[in-house]
Amino acid sequence: MSTEPILKVRDLVKHFPISRGIVFKRQIGTVKAVDGVDFDLAPGETLGLVGESGCGKSTTARTILRLEKATSGVAEYKGRNIFTMKGKDVRLLRREIQVIFQDPYASLNPRMTVGDIIGEGWKIHPDVVPKAKRRARIQELLELVGLNPDHSNRYPHQFSGGQRQRIGIARALALDPSVIVADEPVSALDVSVQAQVVNLLDDLQKELGLSYLFIAHDLSVVRHICDRVAVMYLGKIVEIGTASHVYDHTGHPYTRALLSAVPVPDPAMRHRGERILLEGDVPSPADPPSGCRFRTRCWKAEDQCAAEEPELVDRGAAHPVACHFPEVPAVF
Amino acid sequence: MTVTEPVPETIAASDVPLLEVVDLHVGFRTDAGTVNAVNGLNYKVDGGETLAILGESGSGKSVNAQAVMGIIDSPPGFIPKGEVLYRGTDLLKLPDDERRRIRGNEIAMVFQDALTALNPVFNVGWQIGEMFRQHKGMSKKKATAKAVELMDRVGIPGAADRVHAYPHELSGGMRQRIMIAMAIALDPDVLIADEPTTALDVTVQAQIMDLLAELQADTGMGLILITHDLGVVAEVADRVVVMYAGREVEKAPIDELFAAPRHPYTEGLMQSIPRPDQVTRRLDPIRGAPPDLLRIPPGCAFHPRCPYAKDRCRTETPALRTISTDPLRSTACHFAEELYS
Repeated sequence: MSTEPILKVRDLVKHFPISRGIVFKRQIGTVKAVDGVDFDLAPGETLGLVGESGCGKSTTARTILRLEKATSGVAEYKGRNIFTMKGKDVRLLRREIQVIFQDPYASLNPRMTVGDIIGEGWKIHPDVVPKAKRRARIQELLELVGLNPDHSNRYPHQFSGGQRQRIGIARALALDPSVIVADEPVSALDVSVQAQVVNLLDDLQKELGLSYLFIAHDLSVVRHICDRVAVMYLGKIVEIGTASHVYDHTGHPYTRALLSAVPVPDPAMRHRGERILLEGDVPSPADPPSGCRFRTRCWKAEDQCAAEEPELVDRGAAHPVACHFPEVPAVF
Repeated sequence: MTVTEPVPETIAASDVPLLEVVDLHVGFRTDAGTVNAVNGLNYKVDGGETLAILGESGSGKSVNAQAVMGIIDSPPGFIPKGEVLYRGTDLLKLPDDERRRIRGNEIAMVFQDALTALNPVFNVGWQIGEMFRQHKGMSKKKATAKAVELMDRVGIPGAADRVHAYPHELSGGMRQRIMIAMAIALDPDVLIADEPTTALDVTVQAQIMDLLAELQADTGMGLILITHDLGVVAEVADRVVVMYAGREVEKAPIDELFAAPRHPYTEGLMQSIPRPDQVTRRLDPIRGAPPDLLRIPPGCAFHPRCPYAKDRCRTETPALRTISTDPLRSTACHFAEELYS
């Protein structure tokens, strides 16, 4: 991609201290939630961040949003470092990068009307929409996300899960952002409703030119909605590339195992042969394995994997893979 | 493909099925009125067979399982009508102590959320051992030894040490294995798994589904898998019951169902899901949301969301009936033949 990325993340690290003791608190270790993550997000692009629970995908997003303080590293929004911003700049950043949360029940204040929820951001950013036009804008936003514009005086409990997620999307759009971080936006929804929200996100992107950082564990949804995909394991990106490349020419053994575990809604594929069962659980991020972090569960691991940490190496096709013995490209 | 499928219902009818649910109704009395969670459900499971009950939240799939297990809180829950026949005996008519003997011994259940289903203040060995102490009157020591054996069987490494672990010390996948160990402890003939992998990562989900299949092959138990995930259904089920608003809308052997749905709801579900192995252009979701069980639409409950709904659908509730062109399958749609021929 030749265009300048809208979001550029370099060597992002977030460690959480583990401490013990109440009076004499001392640190006894660190959880390396995010441990050196690099990626770019281009304008109008959707980047999927996938991985199992505990791989650091949500922490990565929270750190970029400055909801967590980064331990080290750089995240640039339109060329300016997010982590060194102060005062007014931070406010402006929060307007430009909005979030959609996973749980549509917990992320809306039950005591506020839908109109107040959507318009709340304007209290901090009054210049986005002039006061006189706010009512009309709320109705416009409700309509945009497929809700009845006359329902702005209702409360969240009067809406179903899918409708609540639409309210969350309308709230994110109220401040005219250019980037939306969507943290598992459809995983709490029913199958039939999930598709509606996926289509809505698709349409909004086309209409408004939004960039999405799409965090999800559902690899089918990610393939459908994302242009590029980054696969994370224990705080690191192990593979990143276009969705079709990552899914059809998988390079990292972990990605291959992950993809082979996804159930395919087609009984004819039941005996498709290639099914890799990973043994055990993800190791603790407080004490990750030496060298390649995946080596303890990898069927291809050799001595080199324990000694030497593999770098993300691009072997052509703009599809870097962090593995000493990457997979021979094979069709899924 | 059709011929090799496990015993279809029509043929098995001559024998007494292992578990049969007949016209089951379950309601809950609330201040706002009666919530009709299950409204006339029918299905059968035989030994060695995996029946998937597929539905979205509020379809009544879990309440049905609780009714079969006899663990519905009453009040507010009540079962106005229906039979749950285990080897021909109606469980709903049995006295409580008989029921308790069957629960666990003959029919067992694995719950979705292992962290809530396990007791945080007892170690897992004690909780598995409870099955043996309660049902078999074993000593504590013997029960713990049996617990270790079972933990080994469900693939928990270092079972002898982990037997003293508390639920919070184990990962989600391990906790679900503990749940399965408890369920299979007394060698039940029917295992009901209610969304056993929904809270788990895909790699762990694959491990757990494999474990269930392996245990089923070993013991020949009938497995009822309750899920909303079409992918999981496609991977493991022999037959499928699709539920909507407390009733079954379609029943079919797995290959037939996925090859050609015979109900607009099933069809809509299949068009709603992206596939991991193919690029889908645009999803074609079902419009609207599942109904409020306090106010189930009259006629066919699906009609407000159905793209093919006609006047008849708004007034007349379609009964589940065998499709004339396809005797292995049944559907609850007035117009199945016209829509899908």
